[in-house]
Amino acid sequence: MEQKNKARYGMVVDLDRCTGCGNCMMACAVENNLAPAEKKANDRTGITWMRVYAMNNGKAFPAAETVFVPMACQQCDKETPCIAVCPQNAVDRDPGSGIVGQVPQRCLGCRYCMTACPYHARYFNWSDPSWPAGMEKALNPDVAPRMRGVAEKCNFCHGRWHAARARAAAQGRSEPDPADYIPACVESCPSRAILFGNLDDAGSEVAKACQEGNCFRFLARLDTESKVYYRSAKPWVREMAEGNRMPSGKDGNLS
Amino acid sequence: MIEQTLPRLPVESAPAHTIRDWKAMEKKWIPRGLPRCSPGRFYAWLAPWLLLLAIGAYAMYLCFAEGLQHTNMDNRFAFGLWIYLDLTVIALGAGAFFTGFLFYILRWKEMTAVINAAVVLGFICYSSAIAILLVDIGQPLRAWFTFWHPNVHSMLTEVTFCLSCYLTVLAIEYLPVLLKNRKLRQVPLFLVFEYELHRVMPVLAGVGTFLSFFHQGSLGGLYGVLHGRPFAFREALGIWPTTFFLFILSAAAAGPSFVLLMARLTQFLSRKQLVRAEVFAQLGKVSGTLLLFYVLLKTLDTMLWINRIYPQTGFSPYSFYAEPSFGTWVLLLEIIGLGLVPALFLVNPRMREKPWVLTLMAFLACSGVAFNRFVMTVQTLALPTLPFDRFLRYVPSWQEVAAFLAVLAYGVLLYSFSFRYATLFPQERDLRNQ
Amino acid sequence: MFPWVYEFRWTTGHLLFLGIFFSVLLTIGLTVVRAAWKTYRDFQDQKQEHLSWKADFEDLSPLARSCRHEISGKVRRRSCPNEFDCRVCANHRVTAGRLPSAGPPARRGADAGFCGLDVPLDRLYHRGHTWVKEEREGVYLIGLDDFASRLIGPPDQVDLPAPGTRLQANGKGWRMRRQSTIVRILSPLDGEVIGQGGAQQGWYLKVRADSRGNKMDHLLRGEEVRSWVLRELERLQMALATDGVGMSLADGGELVYDVTLQDPHADWDSVLGEMFLQA
Repeated sequence: MEQKNKARYGMVVDLDRCTGCGNCMMACAVENNLAPAEKKANDRTGITWMRVYAMNNGKAFPAAETVFVPMACQQCDKETPCIAVCPQNAVDRDPGSGIVGQVPQRCLGCRYCMTACPYHARYFNWSDPSWPAGMEKALNPDVAPRMRGVAEKCNFCHGRWHAARARAAAQGRSEPDPADYIPACVESCPSRAILFGNLDDAGSEVAKACQEGNCFRFLARLDTESKVYYRSAKPWVREMAEGNRMPSGKDGNLS
Repeated sequence: MIEQTLPRLPVESAPAHTIRDWKAMEKKWIPRGLPRCSPGRFYAWLAPWLLLLAIGAYAMYLCFAEGLQHTNMDNRFAFGLWIYLDLTVIALGAGAFFTGFLFYILRWKEMTAVINAAVVLGFICYSSAIAILLVDIGQPLRAWFTFWHPNVHSMLTEVTFCLSCYLTVLAIEYLPVLLKNRKLRQVPLFLVFEYELHRVMPVLAGVGTFLSFFHQGSLGGLYGVLHGRPFAFREALGIWPTTFFLFILSAAAAGPSFVLLMARLTQFLSRKQLVRAEVFAQLGKVSGTLLLFYVLLKTLDTMLWINRIYPQTGFSPYSFYAEPSFGTWVLLLEIIGLGLVPALFLVNPRMREKPWVLTLMAFLACSGVAFNRFVMTVQTLALPTLPFDRFLRYVPSWQEVAAFLAVLAYGVLLYSFSFRYATLFPQERDLRNQ
Repeated sequence: MFPWVYEFRWTTGHLLFLGIFFSVLLTIGLTVVRAAWKTYRDFQDQKQEHLSWKADFEDLSPLARSCRHEISGKVRRRSCPNEFDCRVCANHRVTAGRLPSAGPPARRGADAGFCGLDVPLDRLYHRGHTWVKEEREGVYLIGLDDFASRLIGPPDQVDLPAPGTRLQANGKGWRMRRQSTIVRILSPLDGEVIGQGGAQQGWYLKVRADSRGNKMDHLLRGEEVRSWVLRELERLQMALATDGVGMSLADGGELVYDVTLQDPHADWDSVLGEMFLQA
């Protein structure tokens, strides 16, 4: 059943390069047809597949430091928390790409997956998505908008993945060219902080980058084998990220 | 035309013309020899609950029509009051399966005094849990998808399957209680069917026990498998995390206590003795023994959790209890105040003899289980996982509270009707004659 | 769920889980279908009267369910395990076999009066307050005993089964209404109705009994009738006391005719139900 991956797509996000501009969030929302936030939505009810958080070292000036952490679905590889818990197989992991996908048409909105996800990368449609008049013309035809009452999350722009596969098929190849498949957030980052590619392809930039010493994963000790890596030259960032929580009370804010 | 010498009996089918006729007719539905208050008083007692039910129905309508934006749940606090309520009522509803198990399988004859009440309470608990779950999920019309393509590795699948099967079993168990109503039993078909159903009841009680074991466990497993949530995660024994077994045990312990508590409450409200003191003591004893066993295992589990899972996940042992509102007192209250204390009182025969001690301790035992479900649901979600997260707060919206109260009102209504028109406590008539 | 549904997998987990699920579903379904089928069979076999009585019997108060030999003082506490059908009772055969009173009914004598009630011993009595008297070979008259007549008083309505109707011992005999209270009278024997009487005739039904062996063994006779009447008076007193009827039968007091008239506001429904073995 579980066949070997043909590819294993992943990311390396350079936190030292991220300026926290939020362009990735914008590009993601446009690409994936995220409806504009409801009037009463807040940072806990709005839908942002990609979200930039701020993380600080909790120290007082002049030692205070802050990094911005763009966080989307971490595409966990091992015992993917959300896949195991979904009662009706509405979350799956594509063996061909390693991408964890969500089937909104099958989701019944129990939100158990959201409880299971330690990265809070899953979002729920608390109300009907709606677009201001005229804006529906700007919707991306490659991605189906989701309905009220279902969970959703980043899927590495599966519209682009399908488009890349279609183009590869048209050219007679079975697998898309890595250069031809780039998620919107990666493409839009002005400081080129995000690398994307096949982690199993030893020659790829992303596979090399994730092996480097200052690369780490968030909550690595929860053993989820996420495919989104981060890197930073600052030791405190790595230490905090890997799951050693600092004492409470001095933490950062949601951006 | 020959005059009919032997007239039929027109009385029963004659329409009621006056309030007095109606009252006399209503009285014929009440089991013989059981004094019940006047219909006026009865319906006056129902009125406030009906109002609550109506408000709750409106709140549920809002959620159905406009989505769950009417709740205060959010992407971070994805489970709220309703899931907590589900876990609690299902734990308390375990009284039905456990009393049935004692009565039909272990053949404890004295349980006949409360078996009907336990079945009705179980039916109320489970049906309200399913009703509130249907409001809670975002797409209620897709609820059957779980049956169509089940993910057999998900605890929620196990819960869904067992819950729906067990509600069916409870409905079948509830049916004889209704069919034995004084008026309905005059229909020979009903009475004979009731008799035949009663004969197969041990099979259903067995199935119910089996299903209850699984879904009580799976509800515990629901949190125990969350390896992304170190606060809830527990290591597995076989294929199930330890919470699976702890939930079974705590539900079995709380169930008899809840039956005891409700019977006492009914006695208090109706100002009648309904159940013999020995039966109460017996329920208390069962509850206390299981609770003691549970507290022991829970302590062991907590020790293992602190010493093995905490270090593995890189979370410091105190980080979970460092928040002002959820200090270590939570753990102490759950295990000692609402676990060990009632358990010790309930296993003591001298203490069990005092009715108020028995009632108070049964209340504490039920609160303990409710508190455990609260901690597993709310504290798990409130605690941060990412390093830049904060401790989260959640206050339910009025719609959530109204739906909660509506379920409570539904329970009170169904229970009141059952108490008035069916025989919930078979000993009531004998106790009256003494 | 099913092998033909997309995403079904032939893994151990699936087979185990779905296997258990379908077994449970099948068990529940079969159990209910079995109960329904047995119900159907019971009606086919005309057992509904017997089973209804069985169900009713379970809901009677413990005092009402006492064994006749407990009432007559032959045995210590014993609750009837056979729904008053002594014909199938092994205990009865043993206990009654030892007794001298198991002979044919005595003749009607001058001693018919007992506690102010007319209790002739030339007939057999049923626990539901009917008597059975042989009119001629195989044909019996069934009537209400004095105790019952005094309790109900003049009935406002009597609903007798039509001739040809089959009666079953302990099954429904006929129904009587007094004011708003309806009483179901149990049939004392198995047989076919061949005639209808009434309160004026002194008997209610004429029945051709089924010719089966020891068919009258379940009926009270001889000396035990008196201890039973005493017990019934005791039960009545208790029912009157608990149901808040503002009167009681003082020791030595007699049961007046038409008790119902004495206190129209009392819970006669409950009292009569208790005395006529209704659930």
